[in-house]
Amino acid sequence: MKLKTSKAKEKNRIKELSKKADEKQKNVLEMLKGHGAKIYDDLDDGQFPKFSIPSRSVSNIVYDKKLRQYILGSNAALRSSRNSAQLRSFTQLMWLAFFANRLTKEKKSSTLRDVYYSSQAFGVEFEDQGESDNIIVDLEAVTSRAREDFHIFPEERSSIFGDLNIEYTIPGYEGKTMNLSNHPDGYSIGPSLTTAELVDTSAEIVIAIEKGGLFTRFVEEQVDKKFKSIIINTGGQAPRSTRTLLKRLHDEMKLPVIVLTDGDVYGEHIAMVIKSGSANAAHLRELTVPDAKWVGVWATDIEKYKLPTIPMTESDIKRCYDLQKDPRYQDGVWKKELDVFLKIKRKAELEAFSKYGLTNITDKYLPQKLELAKSL
Amino acid sequence: MSSIKEKFNQISPSEFFYSNRDLAGFSNPTRSLYTAVREFVENALDACDQKGILPDVHLTIKAVDPEKSDPKPYILTVKDNGPGIDAEHIPLAFGTVLYGSKFGLKQARGMFGLGATMAILYGQITTNKPVTVKSCADGQTQNQFEILLDIQKNKPVIVKHITKDAAKKGLSVSICLEGDYSKAGNKIRDYVYETSLITPYASITFDDPKGQKFSHPRFVKEIPPPPTIIRPHPHGIDVERIRRMIVESQFEIPTIDDTMIEKVRKDLGLSKKTLSFTSIMDKAKKKWKNLSRQVRVVIALMSFLKMDFEKLNKIRIEDLDIPNKKLFYWDFGDSQSKSVDMDPDSQYYKQLTNTVQGEPLTTFLTKRFQRIGPTTAVKFAEFAKFKPEKRMGTLTNQELVNLSDALQKFEDFMAPDSSCLAPLGAEPLEKGIKKFFNPDFTAVVQRPASAYSGFPFIIEMGIAYGGDIKSGGPHVYRYANRIPLLYDEGSDVVLKVVHDTDWGRYKIKGEPPFIIVSHICSTRIPYKTAGKENVADRQEIERELRLALQFLSRKLASFMSKRGQAEMAKKRANLYAKYIPMIAEFCTELSGKKKEPNFQKILDAEKAAQPKLIPEENEIENK
Repeated sequence: MKLKTSKAKEKNRIKELSKKADEKQKNVLEMLKGHGAKIYDDLDDGQFPKFSIPSRSVSNIVYDKKLRQYILGSNAALRSSRNSAQLRSFTQLMWLAFFANRLTKEKKSSTLRDVYYSSQAFGVEFEDQGESDNIIVDLEAVTSRAREDFHIFPEERSSIFGDLNIEYTIPGYEGKTMNLSNHPDGYSIGPSLTTAELVDTSAEIVIAIEKGGLFTRFVEEQVDKKFKSIIINTGGQAPRSTRTLLKRLHDEMKLPVIVLTDGDVYGEHIAMVIKSGSANAAHLRELTVPDAKWVGVWATDIEKYKLPTIPMTESDIKRCYDLQKDPRYQDGVWKKELDVFLKIKRKAELEAFSKYGLTNITDKYLPQKLELAKSL
Repeated sequence: MSSIKEKFNQISPSEFFYSNRDLAGFSNPTRSLYTAVREFVENALDACDQKGILPDVHLTIKAVDPEKSDPKPYILTVKDNGPGIDAEHIPLAFGTVLYGSKFGLKQARGMFGLGATMAILYGQITTNKPVTVKSCADGQTQNQFEILLDIQKNKPVIVKHITKDAAKKGLSVSICLEGDYSKAGNKIRDYVYETSLITPYASITFDDPKGQKFSHPRFVKEIPPPPTIIRPHPHGIDVERIRRMIVESQFEIPTIDDTMIEKVRKDLGLSKKTLSFTSIMDKAKKKWKNLSRQVRVVIALMSFLKMDFEKLNKIRIEDLDIPNKKLFYWDFGDSQSKSVDMDPDSQYYKQLTNTVQGEPLTTFLTKRFQRIGPTTAVKFAEFAKFKPEKRMGTLTNQELVNLSDALQKFEDFMAPDSSCLAPLGAEPLEKGIKKFFNPDFTAVVQRPASAYSGFPFIIEMGIAYGGDIKSGGPHVYRYANRIPLLYDEGSDVVLKVVHDTDWGRYKIKGEPPFIIVSHICSTRIPYKTAGKENVADRQEIERELRLALQFLSRKLASFMSKRGQAEMAKKRANLYAKYIPMIAEFCTELSGKKKEPNFQKILDAEKAAQPKLIPEENEIENK
């Protein structure tokens, strides 16, 4: 359902949109400029420039119960250009800030991989993409901004399908709208979608699903229509852009978010990361959907639905024990299911429902879980 | 019975060595050529050292027929500027085995001059050519000999002898021998090269069969102090040695016959005069200091006998009963044995007891051993549970063994006198290493003298790093009594000590460019084989080697860490120079400025603060 708007209203809206985007861009640029100026002044004064960077070591990652996510503690490390061991990474970070500045200023997008390759043109060396990715996280930590704010996106794409109207804000597409149920393969969640305005939707719920195969099945089975939902394929662990979008759908469109994963410990944790973030991104906020609900496949579902299973591997079991120590797994469904997984030492995939017919999962399981979610 | 004895006697030393030439390093044409070179060069250097002459040694090897393939006859000539040899000694010196001047307790390259004769012998066996010796010992006449060795009789056969006018002293020895230069060449060149490192005061040239000339001029003008002949050290002496020393120190009562009496009269200046007993005694007292031991003994006897020369002629001394202080004699006149009492307080009593019973222990120790004073001697006697005045001649076999044991165990003897040793000295050694390797770092040490089995030795060692030294070290240059040791490396004690070292502990890793020069000086090097190429691992020598190497390694480690610091500083400066301009470039655009910041200040300040790299560090430890 599209809203009918007058032309004037439309123009006004676009103006507002671009103003909002401009505002954000201006903030980022100001912030980068501030960092740059400090370093410039140090150099000009004959001082070795330095800055403080929040420590991302395990000991400095703490769980904030109020925010319901992992955050960085107060430990910070000084990174100084005087220290010859840090000089290289200092320079890399300087270059990245410089490059992010250009991207933001010129409203161009880049990917993690693209950043890695671009460095070579400036004589900045990265050993591999891993090193460059790490510096990008450093920049996030120093500026407390997600890399997406600097127009740097991950390579991996997850997808979205459902009745949602969006309006692009990226250069060249400003004001252009799109309904995300027009294309049955779904829409890839990239920079333009992440930054688009969410205009309106008829959906009443967001269903995040771990696997592309089931996503396609859900589209075919018109889960979007049947259950008034927006379907999102997380493609395993949800990328940050997808988590940002999930959060915006929840916060801006007031839609509840449920997560469907494989019936194993990794699936459970995929749901947890959507809900409360990962330790890897403890330096960032605004990536979590604390109200998101994991509805299955639970360990208890395996017995309940008599699902075909396979035994857990050594690493599955080890992961269970690891997560038992995680403060987020100390109560509720999270703790209960983890304990059952450890008890039965077996796991089931989402596809396990196919044993009872290809549409069994959408016909039988999903409705029951949606009902259950209301009480969770 | 006598025929068997004769048979044994017929084997001359020449014959023995002829059939055992492998032992002396003449096993094959390659090894023999190399050994012959060594023997002659070492003899030349020894001769110069002994007379304090700066050696000029010329070595020439020429093929008799260059077209022939190896092994083939070569003419080997070694010429020196040493003292030469008197014409009369030449035939024996070069034409007999076991004739030499190098017997005695002091350090020399060769022990008995045996090797050179072996080389001559080997040459004669393989080519049937005589040795040619040209010697000038007086600076005026040169004696030129051609000598063959009569192997069975161990006697020289002079083939030719001529004399010529000459201007300079010196000796030239030339032999023709079967050799293999294509195989031995490397070793011989190494030998000459390494010899010149340990003999920096010598000038050595080598003309090889291929017409190449190797010249090693001297680069040290002072010759190291020559060794002296010394008394033995008490440590490590054995029962047999003590027994012989006692015999040397003991004298028998001389037979008093006409000749003896005549000698005493002469020494007292009384050949023509006849004096009374009392006058003789007075005369003897006056002349006592200049009298020989034998004469003193006769006088002492006379003092107890109270006889003049006339009477003395008519008796025969029978026995000296020291415990009962009685002197027994046979009187020819009465044809009976008589005795007189001896007064133990008399001067002469002491003279006689000394003669019969040998010296007291303390005197024996102080007089016959090196570096034992009266105090130490008394202390030792107490330690060994002997009376200090115990006469050496009265020791029983068991007491001898006890004494020998105690001599080994007593720890308060001073370290052996090293004056019989001729180490090169730390300074010339360091000079040599620097000249040969042009290293970044050199350290040398001369350990204090030590002893093994009663033989004193000194370890000199040098270590050098970097410069012209090839990587893949440590390269070890082994020397013993200024001889380079090139063969049989595997079983040598020096290499054992080097290989046992954990170089990582001294900050030396990978294939480092460094060398170790080790020089063992001793009156007797404990070679494992007669070929004199590797030193046996005597515990005392190993310990000294270890201490020397540890000392030097620590010096090297401190150099390495300083060098490491300097390299780090340089590396850091390079890093700044590379990255700071980049940071400047990026922050300029980031901060929206037009002009780059003045970062040169940082770079300049950092450069000024850099520690200076010391190109070379010298450590000399000379004790």
